[in-house]
Amino acid sequence: MESASIAADLAHDDDHHHGPPTPNVSSRVEAQFLGMLLFIISEVMLFGAFFTAYFFIRVVADSGWFPIGDAELPKLVAGVNTAILVSSSFTMHWALEGARNENRNALRVGLLTTALLGLTFLTVQINEYVHIGFAPHDHAQGTIFYGLTGLHGAHVFVGLTLLTFATVRAFRGHFTAKEHRGVEVPGIYWHFVDVMWIVVYCSVYLL
Amino acid sequence: MLNPIRSEQEAFRFLLYVVVVAAVVVGIVFAVRALT
Repeated sequence: MESASIAADLAHDDDHHHGPPTPNVSSRVEAQFLGMLLFIISEVMLFGAFFTAYFFIRVVADSGWFPIGDAELPKLVAGVNTAILVSSSFTMHWALEGARNENRNALRVGLLTTALLGLTFLTVQINEYVHIGFAPHDHAQGTIFYGLTGLHGAHVFVGLTLLTFATVRAFRGHFTAKEHRGVEVPGIYWHFVDVMWIVVYCSVYLL
Repeated sequence: MLNPIRSEQEAFRFLLYVVVVAAVVVGIVFAVRALT
């Protein structure tokens, strides 16, 4: 009985296979990209729920928008912050181009700059919360403002975490022109976070 | 067809499209508000 078990283990070793049988894998879509696709679809629905509340207050209930009393949204500061976040997408793209062309310095500097710009965006947003002069529980508009911008800020934080991993790996010499999925997938996510911010900034601050 | 989830390059191009479309929409809304 025991020898049969050992023989089976040796057979497994010969095949270099451990654990349960491999699942069926689609030849059309890589698992990592399919995961990111499903994740981003779920994220769009999550943001959609928050935007539904926003449009309900502004359009359906016609409850008005900022300025409310003395409370006004800092459009200029948020505009500069938007420029910072959009520019971080350019550095992210530059980093990816560096990976594709085996330019290791461009990859490293691009990733590091993207992470620093993202961190700056988050710091400015937190500073905005500190000085804005109203709380989420003051009125429905405040709730939606903190809800939408806070939801987005949480996504920036997640993106920064992914970027930190990618940056550390880049400085350790990972990624080549052919294998750089560890940068590409966070890059797609980072651009998605930027797209969502443009929608949030236009609808909440500008319009 | 542009698929922003297929690759980072397409996601970046999609972002640029969104920036342009958002600028146009905001411009139209501001113009309409100024005229009415």
